[in-house]
Amino acid sequence: MALTITCPICGKRNGYEFKFGGEEKGPRPEEKDLTPEAWCDYVHMNKCVAGVQQEWWFHKDGCGSWFPIYRDTTTNLEQEDQKATNQEGKNDEQV
Amino acid sequence: MKEIQRVSPVVFKSTPVKTKTRDNWEVVMEYSEEGDGPFLVDLSHRPRFDLQDSNLAAQKPFGIEIPETPGICVLEKGVLANRMNGTQVSLYNLDSDDTAVMPDESGYTDVTESTMCVALIGKNVFSICEKLTALDFMDPQRKAPFLFQGPFSHVPCQIVTLSKEGDISGLVLTCSRGYGRDMIHSILHAGEEFKLTPAGENRFTNWIKEL
Repeated sequence: MALTITCPICGKRNGYEFKFGGEEKGPRPEEKDLTPEAWCDYVHMNKCVAGVQQEWWFHKDGCGSWFPIYRDTTTNLEQEDQKATNQEGKNDEQV
Repeated sequence: MKEIQRVSPVVFKSTPVKTKTRDNWEVVMEYSEEGDGPFLVDLSHRPRFDLQDSNLAAQKPFGIEIPETPGICVLEKGVLANRMNGTQVSLYNLDSDDTAVMPDESGYTDVTESTMCVALIGKNVFSICEKLTALDFMDPQRKAPFLFQGPFSHVPCQIVTLSKEGDISGLVLTCSRGYGRDMIHSILHAGEEFKLTPAGENRFTNWIKEL
């Protein structure tokens, strides 16, 4: 696996030191008027884009911090900060 | 009343020649046939604390100025302060003449009993480390002392490199207490070809004075 991840505390490290924490889905929805369906979608539904997505990682073998990165899922390489494919219309389903 | 007994998670097969009881720990000062190095020294009895505070800049544990950047360490008055992240610093008392008592303030946690601590000192220590971790101790951009938080023999550890200078190279490694026996086994196994031997605390005390 060629994946390396840049931890904000420890710097660039081997991807094996980290645990995947899921796609970045934006802020937790407001509980007022939240339907079970909308909550279920927020928790379980993913965009699974083929391209750059913003996602959470946990440095389990290192400093123990949680942080978001951008990763191209087609090449499995970390990307510089940029607009991720899964951020476009992120809140469409909650409207 | 019976005195408590504090037991190190690190056990070496070598025969102790000189021991001392300090703060209820049985400390081995010297082992037989220590050889010429490199050496593996058990420091699990040395007091270690974690300090957590949202404003670490205002804290001065044991009178030490805490480094601002995560990964940077300072060794002053026998105490090693390692900045872990924005809110935490780990403190190791490496001075064998002093039994540091945890400051009676909020934010401190005594981790002496819950972690193991060893020092790997002498020639070829980084060749031994290379067999156990992918961390780059010889990175020219890092000046000793510096902290790595990462896997060593697949175990999450804090590793502080105190010197990168040839024969007086050395580092201090801590991890959860439960890994003690297996960690020692893997380090000694990796160090066999470099003639790594267990050594008593005297060896570490003399070494750190040279830094």
